[in-house]
Amino acid sequence: MSFMSKPIIGEAAVAGGFRKPTGEESRGLRAELEDFNAQYSLVLDEGDLQVWPEFFTEDAFYSVTARENFDHDMPVGLVHCEGKGMLKDRAFAIQHTAMFAPRYLRHYITNTLAIGVSDDGAVVARANYMVLETLHDDPTTHIHQAGSYHDIFARGTDGALLLRRRICVYDSLIIPTALVFPV
Amino acid sequence: MAWLRVAALEEVRDKEILPLTVDGQRIALYWLDGEVFAIGDVCTHQVAILSDGFVEDGCIECPLHQGRFCVRTGKAQGAPVTEDLPAFLTKVEDGAVFVDPDRPAAAAADAGLESEAPEPNDSAPDNRCMVIVGAGQAGGRAAEAARKAGYSGKLVLIGDEPTAPYERPPLSKGILTGEASEKDLLLFSPEELNRLALDFRPGLTVRRIDRDARQLTLGDGTVLGYDGLLLATGARPRRLEIDGGDLKGVLYLRSHADAQILKQALGAAQAVAIVGGGFIGLEVASTAAATGKRVTVLERDARLVSRILPAEISEDLADRARAAGVDIRTDVDVAGFDGSNGTVSAVRLASGETVPSDLVIVGVGAIPNVELAREAGLSVDGGIVVDATGRTSDPAIFAAGDVANYPHAPNGGPMRLESWQNAQDQAAAAGRSLVGAETRYEGVPWFWSDQFGLNIQILGIPDPHGAVRRRGGAEEGPSAWFQINPDNTLRAVFAFSDAAAIREGRNLMSRGNTVPEDLFETRQSDSRPEGCIGKAVTPATTPVPYIWPEGGMNRIPDWVYTSDEIYQREVERIFHGRSWNYVALEAEIPEPGQFVRSFVGPTPVVVVRGEDGAVNVFENRCAHRAAEFCREQRGKVTEFVCPYHQWTYDLEGNLSGVPFRRGVGGKGGMAKDFDPTQHGIRKLNVTTRRGVVFASFHDDMESIEEYMGPEILTDFDATFDGRKLTILGYYRNTVPGNWKLYHENLKDPYHATLLHTFLVTFGLLVAGNKSAMIADATGRHGTMASAKSDGKTVDSAAKSEMRAYRDGMVLNEPKFMDFIPEFDSPWSVTMQTIWPNLIVQREMNTLGVRQIVPKGPNEFVMNWTMFGYEGDDEEMTRHRLRQGNLMGPAGFLGLEDNEAMKFVQDGMLRGNDGEHLVALDPETPTGTSDTLISESAIRGMYAYWRKEMGL
Repeated sequence: MSFMSKPIIGEAAVAGGFRKPTGEESRGLRAELEDFNAQYSLVLDEGDLQVWPEFFTEDAFYSVTARENFDHDMPVGLVHCEGKGMLKDRAFAIQHTAMFAPRYLRHYITNTLAIGVSDDGAVVARANYMVLETLHDDPTTHIHQAGSYHDIFARGTDGALLLRRRICVYDSLIIPTALVFPV
Repeated sequence: MAWLRVAALEEVRDKEILPLTVDGQRIALYWLDGEVFAIGDVCTHQVAILSDGFVEDGCIECPLHQGRFCVRTGKAQGAPVTEDLPAFLTKVEDGAVFVDPDRPAAAAADAGLESEAPEPNDSAPDNRCMVIVGAGQAGGRAAEAARKAGYSGKLVLIGDEPTAPYERPPLSKGILTGEASEKDLLLFSPEELNRLALDFRPGLTVRRIDRDARQLTLGDGTVLGYDGLLLATGARPRRLEIDGGDLKGVLYLRSHADAQILKQALGAAQAVAIVGGGFIGLEVASTAAATGKRVTVLERDARLVSRILPAEISEDLADRARAAGVDIRTDVDVAGFDGSNGTVSAVRLASGETVPSDLVIVGVGAIPNVELAREAGLSVDGGIVVDATGRTSDPAIFAAGDVANYPHAPNGGPMRLESWQNAQDQAAAAGRSLVGAETRYEGVPWFWSDQFGLNIQILGIPDPHGAVRRRGGAEEGPSAWFQINPDNTLRAVFAFSDAAAIREGRNLMSRGNTVPEDLFETRQSDSRPEGCIGKAVTPATTPVPYIWPEGGMNRIPDWVYTSDEIYQREVERIFHGRSWNYVALEAEIPEPGQFVRSFVGPTPVVVVRGEDGAVNVFENRCAHRAAEFCREQRGKVTEFVCPYHQWTYDLEGNLSGVPFRRGVGGKGGMAKDFDPTQHGIRKLNVTTRRGVVFASFHDDMESIEEYMGPEILTDFDATFDGRKLTILGYYRNTVPGNWKLYHENLKDPYHATLLHTFLVTFGLLVAGNKSAMIADATGRHGTMASAKSDGKTVDSAAKSEMRAYRDGMVLNEPKFMDFIPEFDSPWSVTMQTIWPNLIVQREMNTLGVRQIVPKGPNEFVMNWTMFGYEGDDEEMTRHRLRQGNLMGPAGFLGLEDNEAMKFVQDGMLRGNDGEHLVALDPETPTGTSDTLISESAIRGMYAYWRKEMGL
C-alpha cells in the first residue's frame, strides 16, 4: 500500500525519481521548509482549523501514528485522512462538534531537512516536532507528543510548497488521554 | 508443605495481631504471653475478618457478631460460633516466625464434638429414650447438647419439615439474594449429623402426648414411648384472615420452602408490598429494594418495629429505609387484597386507598406452636412455661426455642424470645437438662438483623417506650443507643453497625456495673461491618467503613472510583480473581517463539507461542530479583533471558538456566538442593476463543464460553466469525479516570445519544433507532448494539432533546461513514464489554479490541489493537482505516469519551465524598434493557461487583 509506506530517503530517493539535493539547494529548501512549518505551527497554535487543510494538496495523505506502528509497517493511524476532504471534515468536526476540555497547543518544529528533490520541484523532507499541551485549568504544561514529520511536498500553481503527504510519527507508546487537534 | 517463614518476630510483637495470607489461606498471627500463635482469620460463622476484632482473655472476638475463638487453639467459645478455626503449628527461629500451613496444631486437632464427651461407660449402657419434637435450630442444638453432655442412649429427633435442622436468619437475606445456599443454612454437615447418632425422622408430625403413659402418638399413627421429652415446636407466621388473603402472590416467610417460593416470586415482581414493619419484613424490604424493586412497607402502628425499638431509633431506621427507596407507610390498616385471575394486584387499605402490588409479603408476627403442650395439660402462658433449665410443668418434659416462655435475666419476667441466640443457647441448656446434666441458661438476650447496609444488634430486653441516649450520629457512620435502668445499670443497647457498643454493653451487663459517663462519648470506630474495609477520610477524622449507600443500586458512592483500598481489593478479587482477562490476539504471535508484552489487571505478563504451538502466559517478573525482564513490546525469541543476572526461561516460563548455580571453584552458588523446577515464573491459566487469548490467575476457571454466557457469545462470534485476523496496528492512551468508568461508558447507551454528535447526525445511534443494551446473566458483561439508520428518521422533538444534534451537517467524504455489510448479525454496531478488561469494538467496519490496564484507582491505560481480516482487499483495509477516525484517543467518538471520563474523575477528586445517581429506567432494575435511555446495565454490573468485592 504505497500511500502508507515509509517515505523515501537516502539512496532510495534517487530510485523514486528524487535525487539528493546539493548543498546550496539544501540550504535554500531548508529556509523554504522552515517558513512553511512556521506558518503551519502558527495556524494550529492559533486554532485556525479551517485554514489547516489549505497546507495540503487535494490528494494529500495525512496520518498521526505511533512509532510502534510505523517501524513495523502497520498502517493504522490515530488520525488517518485520505484527501483534503477528510482533512476538512476533521477540522469541522473538531471545531464544531467535538466535546473536550479547553486547551492551548504549541508546536515546535526543528531539524528541518530536505532529503530528496525532483525536477518538478517536489521535496522529500524530515523535521522533528514537539507539541506542548496546556489545559486551561492546569498549572503545568505537558509534552503531548515528540516525533518526526515524514513529509513529501509538491508545488502549487504559484510554486509554493504544499504537503502531499505528512506522516506524524510520535515516539512515545502512549497518548495522554486524547489527541484533539492536528499535529 | 514444610515450614514457611511468614513474618519477622519483631513485627508480630509490635502489632500483636498480624493478618497474613499463607499458601492461599488467611491466617492471623497473635502475640500472646510471649508466644506466637497462628489461627485461621475468617470467622466460621459468617464471613468476617477476625484480625479486625479484639483480643481479650486469650480469645479473639469477631467484629461482626462477637463470636469468640481461643487464640491458642482456634476453639470456638460458644454462640454465635460453633465451628472451630484451624490452628497451625508455629515456631520461632532467628527472629523469624514460621508457620506450617498444612499441619494443624495438636491442640486443635482433637478439639471437636467427641472431645467434650465423657468416656463412655461400658458397664452400664443407657437404655433411656429421649425424644425431641421439632427439628429446627433449637431441636438440633438441643440434640447436639444432649450428646455433648455424654448421653449415649436413644435420641429421636422428629421434625415436620423434610430437611435436616437449619438456621432461619438467612431466609430473609442471603437465600433471597442467592448469596447463601441451602447448604449454608444447615446446622450440621452430613458427617456431623451422622456422629450425633440420632433417630432422625423428618417430615413427621406429633399428634398427641400421653403424659401418664409417657407416650407420643405420631402423625403416621405409630406410638413412641419416651423417658424424657423436649418440645422445640417453634412458631408459625400469623396469617391475615382478611379478604383476598388466599390470593396467589400473598406470601409468608418461615421455612426454607417459603423462602424458595419468595425468591422466585421476587425475581419476577415489580412492585412489592410488605405488610408489617417488623424486622423480618424490613429485611425482605431491604433485599427487594437492593434489586431495584418498588417496595412499600405497610405498618399498622405509628412506627416501625414498635414492639422492640423506642421511637427515636424507629425513626432513624425508617429514614434509612426511605433513603434506600422504600416507601414506609405507618398508621395504615390493611383491609384486604385485590386480585385479578386469582393473583394479587393491590393491597386495599381501610381508608379505601389501594397500593398496587404484584407481590405481598406478610410479616405480622409469629404464633408459638403450643397446641400439643396445651392439649397435654402443660402450663402455657403465651409460650410453654419453662424454668431456667428449660423444664416445663411436667418434670419429664422440657421446651426450648421460639415456643418456650422462659424467665429471662436480667429483667426477670417470663417471656418468649424469637431469636437465633435463644434457639441456640437456651436450647442447648434445655438439651443438657433433658439428659440429666441440669443446666441453667442465663445469657443476656441478644439479637441481630442485617438490612439497608446496616448491621443492627440489640442486647438486653429493651423497653420500646423507654428513653434512650444516643452515641455517634453520623448518618452513615455507626450509631448506638443505650437504655438505662433507674439504678443506672444498663438495660439495653441498640447498635447500628457499631459492634463495639454491644461489646461494651455486654461487659457492663454481665458484671452488673453502673454506666460510666464516657460510654456516650463517640468512639474511634473500631468495628467494621461485614465485608467492609477501614477507610481513613482524612487523618484527622474517624475512619468510616465502606458501606454501600442506602439507595439500593441507584447510587454509586465516589469511593468505588477513588479509593486505593478498594482498588487493591479489585486487583486481588477481580483481576487476579475468578476472571478471564484478555491478553492478546493469536494473530500477533502466529509462530513459535513470537511474543507480546501484555497485562492482567496491572500485572505485566508475557504472551508467547510455545514450541508446541500452544499460547503460554506468564508473569513478566524474574523469579530471582523480580526484574520485569521482557522489555521489547513484541518479538521472537527461543528463550527469555533476564538481563540482570541472566537467569533463563524457556517458552513455557520454566527456569532453564541459573549462571554459576554450582558456584566457582566449589564456592558460592546455590544450595545443593536448589530445585529449578520450583523457581519458574508464575504461569497463568490460558484459553482462547476464535483467536482471542485470555488468561487467568485461577486454575479452575469455567470455560470462556460459559464465562461469557450465551447472550455475549453471540455477538462475540459475529465479530470473530472464523476469518483469520490481520493486525492493522495499535493505539495506546491513558485515561485519568477509574477503569470501571470505561465499562460504564459502554453500558450507558444514554450518553451515546447525547455526547456524540457524529453518531447522532449521521444516524448511527439515535434515540428511537433499533438498538439494545444486552447484559449477561451475571451483569458483568454487556453488548451495546445498534442498527444504522439514515438519520432522516430523527424527529424534531428528539432533535431538540439532543443538544449535540446539528442539522444539515454534510461530510466532504461521506463514504467514510458507510457500512459495508459483512457480518451475520442484525447489528451494524456492537460494543462489547467483557469483564474485567476487554472491549470488543465492531463499529460498522472498523474493528478492534481494547484492553484495560488499571494503574491505580484514578488512571488506566487503554491498549487498542485494530484489525481486519485476511482476504480484505486494499480498498476494504483503507475503509477500515478511514473509519478508524471514529475511535481511539483521536477518534471523533473516542476522544469525547476519554474527556468525559476525565471530567467525572475530576469531579470526584476535587469535590467532597458523594454519590453518583444511576436511576434511569427504574422499570428495568438491572441487566438487559430494550431502551437506550437506561442505566440498568450499570446497576447490574455493580450488583455483580459488590458480590465479588464482598461490599
